[in-house]
Amino acid sequence: MYIVVIGGGRVGFFLTRALFNAGHEVFIIERNSRRVDELVQHFGNVAIKGDGSEPIIQMEAGVARADILIATTGADEDNLAACQLAKHRFNVPKTVTLINSPEDERLFELLGVDVVVSSTQLLLGAIEEELPAHSPAHVLPVRGNREAATIEVPQGSPVIGKRLSAIELPPDTYVVAIVDRDGQLKALNNDTQLELHDEIVAVTATDQAEALLEVLSNGR
Amino acid sequence: MNIIVMGCGRIGTQIATSLWQEGHRVTVLDTVPESFLSLPKELRETEGATIVCDGILEEELIDAGIEGADVFVAVSNRDNRNALAAQRAKHIFNVPNVVCRVGDIERQEMYNKLGLSAISPTKITSALILEAVFP
Repeated sequence: MYIVVIGGGRVGFFLTRALFNAGHEVFIIERNSRRVDELVQHFGNVAIKGDGSEPIIQMEAGVARADILIATTGADEDNLAACQLAKHRFNVPKTVTLINSPEDERLFELLGVDVVVSSTQLLLGAIEEELPAHSPAHVLPVRGNREAATIEVPQGSPVIGKRLSAIELPPDTYVVAIVDRDGQLKALNNDTQLELHDEIVAVTATDQAEALLEVLSNGR
Repeated sequence: MNIIVMGCGRIGTQIATSLWQEGHRVTVLDTVPESFLSLPKELRETEGATIVCDGILEEELIDAGIEGADVFVAVSNRDNRNALAAQRAKHIFNVPNVVCRVGDIERQEMYNKLGLSAISPTKITSALILEAVFP
């Protein structure tokens, strides 16, 4: 396939290399002439200097016969202009853009850009996968390899509506207090019922803290 | 009417000033604070009439009062910025009347076809000059 890449920065560079390796024909439009020299040195005669949102430059780069145009500059307005020009003036079947400001995703899709990749969303997605799925817990180390933790009972937790005695806590785990959503301490006995947004204060063995979180948030 | 003018160069100044003199509520955006010096003193000293920003982020446009705006005019010296801000004003904020300056003639025609009211100073000025040379 013939693919035109707007912007020969880091993203554009590595993208071009990957596309070449996959056997595609690639051409790069880059604004900075020094960068163009570097790209030409690296990839051969497949880059021109110019503003990728100018019709004359897109024409020169052969956008009219491109299967895909990918905009990778750091300015969302330039990426949008390049994609709209490619799509509506040169009838490129597929336009892809990188966006920096997440709010642009909706607008760009509305305006007919085929694939919108949000770098901010990608990063957030990657971070979220690393974060535990349960509600935030505050943990304090206690002597004897123990931890004191406060955990809020989150939406969808299987312990909601259950009596304390019916919950299978990890070994060496003691619930020391439960505070309801209005900040009132609940009387603690085997019949104490857990409710949504109760804050549970518990002491547990350090290696059981994760398990406790699991029980209170997701069940097992 | 509530009118937002993005870009306070010669064109933006002219537009903002005449609309303000006609009694409209005008908010002018520009990245360079000094550019507001070209506005009438009374206008630029009006609370909220000038905002330093480039006007392409949603947040900036909301601060400028786009949710209650009747008219959005994008006349900065950057075609792509104008086009993005104008399309955001039209499609996200549903501003009833949006006009946008695009220097490049081919792109101006493209935006018009896409339903965006775009005006090319290049096209208009060169037409006027040609008319003056060959009346």
